[in-house]
Amino acid sequence: MPSTAALTPGLSSFLKSLKTNPIDTSIDNLISLLKRRQIRHSRSCATATAYLLLRVISACRTSDAGKLIERVQSVGRRLIAAQPREMVVGNIVRRVLGLIRDEAEDDREGDFTLSEAGSESQPQTPRATDDPSVHEGSDRSLSRPPFPTINTTPISMFNLLSHPEPQPSLPGTPVSASPSGRFPSYTPTKDIRAEVLDGIGEIIDELGQVDDQIAAYALDHIHSNEIILTHTSSTTVQRFLLKAAAKRKFTVIHAESYPNNHEATHATVSGKETGDDEIMSTESFQKPLIALGITVILIPDSAVFALMSRVNKVILGTHSVLANGGLVAAAGTRVIARAAKLHQTPVVVASGVYKLSPVYPFDFESLIEYGDASKVIPYEDGDLVDQLDVQNPLYDYVPAELVDLYITNLGGHAPSYLYRIVSDHYRKEDISF
Amino acid sequence: MAPKGKGSSKPRGNATEEVEETLQAVVLADTFETRFEPFTLDQPRCLLPLANTPLLEYTFEFLANAGVEEVFLYGGAHSDKLEKYINASKWRASSSPFTKLTFLKSTSTSVGDVMRDLDGKHLITGDFIVVSGDVISNLPIEGALTAHRTRRAADKNAIMTMILREAGRNHRTKSSSEMPIFVIDPTKDRCLHYEEIDRHSPESSRLNIDTEIIETHQELDIRQDLIDCSIDICTPDVLSLWSDSFDYQTPRKQFLYGVLKDYELNGKTIHTHIVEDHYAARVRNLKAYDAVSRDIIARWAYPLCPDTNLLPGHSYDLRGGNLYQEQGVMLARSCVVGRRTVIGQGTSIGDKTTVKNTVLGRNCKIGKNVTLDGAYIWDGAVIGDGSTVHRAVIADGVVVGNGCTVESGALLSYGVKIGDGVTVAEGRRLTNAASEDGHVPASEPAVVGEGGRGYEYVPEEDEDDEDDESTVSSGLVYNMANLSLSTESISTLSSEVSGYGGSQAGSYDSSLSDDEEGDHFVHDAAASVYDSLREGVTPDVVNLELVSLRMTANASDNQVRRAVISAFMKRIQQLMEEDNQHAGDAVRSIFKPYREIVERTLFDRATGAKPDQVDLLVLLQQDLAQRPRGDTVLLFAAKELYELEMVEEEAFEQWWVDERSYGSEEMKRVRSQTQQFVEWLANAEEEDSDEDESEEESEEESDEE
Repeated sequence: MPSTAALTPGLSSFLKSLKTNPIDTSIDNLISLLKRRQIRHSRSCATATAYLLLRVISACRTSDAGKLIERVQSVGRRLIAAQPREMVVGNIVRRVLGLIRDEAEDDREGDFTLSEAGSESQPQTPRATDDPSVHEGSDRSLSRPPFPTINTTPISMFNLLSHPEPQPSLPGTPVSASPSGRFPSYTPTKDIRAEVLDGIGEIIDELGQVDDQIAAYALDHIHSNEIILTHTSSTTVQRFLLKAAAKRKFTVIHAESYPNNHEATHATVSGKETGDDEIMSTESFQKPLIALGITVILIPDSAVFALMSRVNKVILGTHSVLANGGLVAAAGTRVIARAAKLHQTPVVVASGVYKLSPVYPFDFESLIEYGDASKVIPYEDGDLVDQLDVQNPLYDYVPAELVDLYITNLGGHAPSYLYRIVSDHYRKEDISF
Repeated sequence: MAPKGKGSSKPRGNATEEVEETLQAVVLADTFETRFEPFTLDQPRCLLPLANTPLLEYTFEFLANAGVEEVFLYGGAHSDKLEKYINASKWRASSSPFTKLTFLKSTSTSVGDVMRDLDGKHLITGDFIVVSGDVISNLPIEGALTAHRTRRAADKNAIMTMILREAGRNHRTKSSSEMPIFVIDPTKDRCLHYEEIDRHSPESSRLNIDTEIIETHQELDIRQDLIDCSIDICTPDVLSLWSDSFDYQTPRKQFLYGVLKDYELNGKTIHTHIVEDHYAARVRNLKAYDAVSRDIIARWAYPLCPDTNLLPGHSYDLRGGNLYQEQGVMLARSCVVGRRTVIGQGTSIGDKTTVKNTVLGRNCKIGKNVTLDGAYIWDGAVIGDGSTVHRAVIADGVVVGNGCTVESGALLSYGVKIGDGVTVAEGRRLTNAASEDGHVPASEPAVVGEGGRGYEYVPEEDEDDEDDESTVSSGLVYNMANLSLSTESISTLSSEVSGYGGSQAGSYDSSLSDDEEGDHFVHDAAASVYDSLREGVTPDVVNLELVSLRMTANASDNQVRRAVISAFMKRIQQLMEEDNQHAGDAVRSIFKPYREIVERTLFDRATGAKPDQVDLLVLLQQDLAQRPRGDTVLLFAAKELYELEMVEEEAFEQWWVDERSYGSEEMKRVRSQTQQFVEWLANAEEEDSDEDESEEESEEESDEE
């Protein structure tokens, strides 16, 4: 604790303090960090949210799914209100909610597929911190055998009925009122928390591995002697290009994304450390592309159109991806996508699934954050400051029709297919919680 | 903690050790200036809302951002309200980023007192940050802190680092009345000299740099383009310095200036950290309030924007064109909400109303056909149908009736109510606050209209030497420096006519010694008049010069009189000594051609009481008390004044019985000779009244003469 004292608070100090601080303090702490933009960028926000929810759930002294859901929802609502434009916060909360629901349903369904249940419960026992889980493990093994026989018949019927059930805020219902008290001794003792915590652990692992997983597809998309145009200092894209660079020679044109990201972009190109906050600290330092013998051309954003005719492929990073296949990405992305469209150049977006949000951009203006005006004109210039309204949007909305392909950690998808991934990852009832 | 020497040999280790020190901050909630009156009559200054968030929130946000752990908040005026607010705020909650938030009440009347008090309490353990409760900044302080600590590790005498923001030649956020000048050695970031230049007074437009500074430093930056946001990183030594020099009151004008001046004596150095990015400003007066509000709305201070929702419960949302709107706002279909506007929850805006560049608090009611431009309207205010508000500040719960016009720079404080169809003139300050004795002065229907509530607030002119700043800056209430300045001086003039001079004359003796700035004016004006007398310039020209001097210094009539009298007497004395003129001739040769100048300083001809004329005579007497043969000159001067009809006989009578004129031995001595004249006057008057009572007295007298 004291060692974080004089540091400007950020993701690392938050994660450190998470262990020692009481849970409510941590929630408020994250809210103010989000508000102050001391935790920004999708990855950091997602990590912070996941770790916070991990704490929230492990601190919850209930194994009742309804109560857990309620708790996570209330925390999630506050986090989202703090910074609605960091959509990954909502994504992570939704996924955790989905996890809880899954576990709750698995419960009721009574693990009729032994293999699935087994694979899930095995790692859970050693990891669980609370005593009950240990007992419960033995409990369950005792009580498991009868279920398959009892449960197989009502399962499909039950499924139909139970889906809408968790939605109304009747915390007790799914457990006590449903499968008609046939195994009342079973449900309360079973601690779904441990499994949810496991699930969150998996999400955190996913956040750590997502870049590598995406990069694994690099060789399918980047071919020798191609000219690739990219934008911003997105680590996902850099990793992607580096992976390809290990095997192939190609040329990268890098638009500098002035004024909000140009310093980081320059640093990425030249391989110098930015000394910049947590994006760097969470990433292992990577060699720049030029170290691998790749020609990198740094261009101002204004030159994008002129060079587009020579580009074979545009690879973009993103801030978040929306359910309709559109994306919210660093300002300037839309210009690039549009230029690419005009020149029939394929646009590929590399993004982790965690950035995929079930939100539809009905009002995409409201998704765009406006940043610091002094990045555009210096604040010292008193006359201009007095007379101008300066707008510095941090993000652009790129409609789905300008994107040709998404590469996520699950593989490549057409924009029109994203709704499928959304429905795989998020429960319908959590989309607007 | 390991000794510094070991630390410096291993810079990395040093850094981590230093980091373990808890960072403390002292917040001065009250800066002991009167620049937010009349609002500060009801509320502590740091709780005034800026873009609907109290100023203090921004300051705490800045400290939380900087990673400060312990905060000492010094309350000044209205500290009970402040304490209540703090106790209910999120900063006291368990989730507060501050591990300790101490509220200290004090009876201090200056920043100096606070610092000395703090020194006495032994609360400060290490380096600490001093900010005033009106700082707004998104600056990460790390850089400055590291710089400060490395400097300190190298040299124990580097006691303080000031954070200054670069801001070009003209900038709305810079203070416009006084201009801080920093003389800096850029190689060491050391501040060598500091001075404040008052832009509106010609006599201080000079910078006095010690020649030694110029000789000993190869490189010097003289900078006036800096916003001094009063964020200082101090070491505990600073406190002991404050304690050592018990007469320091202000952190810059006296402390900084003094410490730099006494460098030879104490060897302490003060450094600067000039930042070229990020936002840092202080809401030091209402003009800055306007500027900073606009900065925040235009997202210069990002992420400190309304849509960051610093206060829990706020739900501002950014729409296009820097329009921030909370949920639950009721807008009529035909109203026009323009750019750069903030609208709080529960506010309703009526049909055909136009709103732009405006901050509207929560639960305001804006009627139909209202025009708001550049207004700051705080929570719960009501603006009636058809009214117009232009660049004014309207406080919580103010009611403005139908068809009113609130002009630029008007300030309507808490609880004021304006009747229908009233025009609140430019720069007017209205309040409904209870005065010091606890009762609320009666409303002035002339100002607030029929059924209105509130009275005009007239700033006190106390004789603090800081006062000239505050009067100037409160005169500058808003933008348009020159315009407001001129209205200010005109209003002083008019209020002086209505008996103001009396109170000023009453405090004369104290102002003689205390009023340094006044002395400046008197000195300069007297010198100028004296030169003119010697050169025989025409009275018109002398007058013009006097008026311009008086306007720029905003001098009172008493000061003008003093200047005139002292110049006249000096010249008379010179004529008597050098040209061996007779006292009577000398007096006549001066007073006769230049009588217009004297007459221009007197405004009480038509009234019964003659405070101005009496004042003139007292001044004359005082001046002559210090001059050789003063008694003779006084007699002749009195006679001359009487003969030239500059001073009426009632004034002589009043003067004679005025206690100031026989207050001391010297005064008695100098007026002894004049006794016969006064007696004669009294007799003459008696005869006059015997002869003919109806005839006008002055005519009679001059006939007799």
